[in-house]
Amino acid sequence: MKKEKKTRLVSRGYWSETWLRFRRRKLAMIALLFVIFMAMVALLSPVIVGTKPVVCKYQGKIYFPCMGYFNEKWENPIFFQDGIAQRYPVQLKEKDPESWAVFPLWYNDAMRRVTDGEMPGRPGNPTGDEGCPSRMNPFGTTFYGFDVAAIMIHGTRIALLVGFVSTGITAVIGILVGALAGYFGGWVDMLLSRLIELVMCVPTLVLILAFIAVVERPQIWHTMVIIGLTGWPGIARLIRGEFIKLKQSEYVAAAHALGTSQFRIIFRHILPNALAPIVVPISFGIAVAILIETGLSFLGIGASVSSASWGRVLSEGRANLSMWWLTFFPGMTIFLTVLAYNLIGEALQEATDPRLRGRE
Amino acid sequence: MKLLQVKNLKTYFPIRRGLFQHTVGYVQAVDDVSFSLEEGETLGLVGESGCGKTTTGRSVLQLIPPTEGEVWFQGKNIVGLSEKGLKPIRRNMQIVFQDPYGSMNPRMTIRAIVEEGLIVQNEGNARERYEKVRDVIHKVGLEDSCLDRYPHEFSGGQRQRVCIARALVLNPKFIVLDEPISALDVSIQSQIINLLVKLRGEMGLAFLFISHDLSVVEYLSDRVAVMYLGQIIETAKSSTLYARPAHPYTRALLSSIPTMDAERRQKRILLHGDVPSPVNPPKYCRFCPRCPKAQAICREVPPPLVEIGAGHTVRCHFPEGESNAGEHPC
Repeated sequence: MKKEKKTRLVSRGYWSETWLRFRRRKLAMIALLFVIFMAMVALLSPVIVGTKPVVCKYQGKIYFPCMGYFNEKWENPIFFQDGIAQRYPVQLKEKDPESWAVFPLWYNDAMRRVTDGEMPGRPGNPTGDEGCPSRMNPFGTTFYGFDVAAIMIHGTRIALLVGFVSTGITAVIGILVGALAGYFGGWVDMLLSRLIELVMCVPTLVLILAFIAVVERPQIWHTMVIIGLTGWPGIARLIRGEFIKLKQSEYVAAAHALGTSQFRIIFRHILPNALAPIVVPISFGIAVAILIETGLSFLGIGASVSSASWGRVLSEGRANLSMWWLTFFPGMTIFLTVLAYNLIGEALQEATDPRLRGRE
Repeated sequence: MKLLQVKNLKTYFPIRRGLFQHTVGYVQAVDDVSFSLEEGETLGLVGESGCGKTTTGRSVLQLIPPTEGEVWFQGKNIVGLSEKGLKPIRRNMQIVFQDPYGSMNPRMTIRAIVEEGLIVQNEGNARERYEKVRDVIHKVGLEDSCLDRYPHEFSGGQRQRVCIARALVLNPKFIVLDEPISALDVSIQSQIINLLVKLRGEMGLAFLFISHDLSVVEYLSDRVAVMYLGQIIETAKSSTLYARPAHPYTRALLSSIPTMDAERRQKRILLHGDVPSPVNPPKYCRFCPRCPKAQAICREVPPPLVEIGAGHTVRCHFPEGESNAGEHPC
């Protein structure tokens, strides 16, 4: 009885077992790599493409103006005062001959057109319907001469941020409400279940539209928060069900018999076992959030109208149907991203399914 | 002083219906149960499924709050105590469950499972706790190598050993064994029983041994209590009960034990009908609707628990056997 146990050396916990199962699915692994790639692109977007130097020396000090792509305030105000911010390559040298700068891999901007003579030896972007994909602009340019590839790359930030932040809010609220309702039952459950049903009835898109109509300067954060605040009932229900089931399990009774506190029972004994069913809805939720956001900016009412986003290119494509690249590239990217999250979700579903687990 | 004394324990579960969940009735899972346990003694609790054995065990440990009654443990009534008040008492009373597959958290290693009790009771530092976990794991016949494994990597018998180790790690005085062997293979059953006997001798444990396996109860218990529909209907020394069962239900139950011994083999008593619902049990003798010797009085007066011999009590108007000669109620 004891000897045969020695042949297996590695003991696997639940998640490492899940990972083992997940890894067997090629398509899901490709999807995961794609998502990781997208995350890298989002993180490194200012280094990949932009018109602000990654690092520069100006008047004896080192600056990182490219951080301004993440947040305007992170670009040192000195560049705005000296009027450099819009035209770094020429202006930097003019104001301070001693200065030097390292530019992103690829000189182009998501927020404005690159004009003639802005960067020595580089022609400006074509405007109108002449901006068909070329060596300078691999995904073409928009009607006003913005580079599509640059918008796509900088738009990755918004897409992933929307996906993760709103799903993060969803998960936190859903887990909290579901856990409380399921664990305490009684009138707590009664109240929270009604709340769940109430929020379920609120249509996300309409709420966002109403919000944008009311708020003066809608920001992308508002969209994320609204998607997050309306999306949690599904997760809350799943967690509630798991809690109701698990609080009656014998290992919870055993923990209770040992004198374990409620807090510890909830977080150490029930929650880790209740999480498996919501991994899948979380992964699908990210895809849905991205779709909602791009849909909003496609309609031209999203909070991201003023920033680089995939949906914005799409909506320009709707206005200029002959410029096929305005529809094709963002469309493909949105499709692939949503597909990747769905593939991951599906593979996770199979990897965590207890009915399939026993079989090798 | 008795280690454990249970007095008139009642555990009712409300049946809720409708939109506002109002109570429409009660399942009388445990109805007026009393028994006591000395230190180091084993009381067997037998009865068919659904008779309230498990609920009794859990109510004694306050895992299910009893509706009424008293549970005196080490000279203290523990019914109605807060979880905070119960915490130090829980060190001394533990439970082993029936299903070794469902009674361990699948996300925890064996070491974490066994160590849990020491952690929540703030016992020792990490090193001392580890030593204790190792000791108790050896005590139940497992090796160090199992400490970092997960429950799903073990067989039923091994898991039950871990569950016993978890119950033992705090050095309790009293353990409720809630059908600890009924989910195991027969060959493994005997190993676990031998382990329990060994531990009882080494650590001076008192057991409340809940089971429907009558022959195992006979082997393990000093005294036996028979439950029927939420009530204890007969209590006696193990040897007395098996030799001279007084209650008709006990007799029927004992006659169902398969035996190789020709002397003990008797005619099988077959009961008719079903156990009445615990939601609405008979107001008179609860066994009466199925009793082969029921009389008019059985349908009118609920029988009291009467002592018919030394430590032999029975809840019947017409108890059987020599010990009741001259005490006939009619």
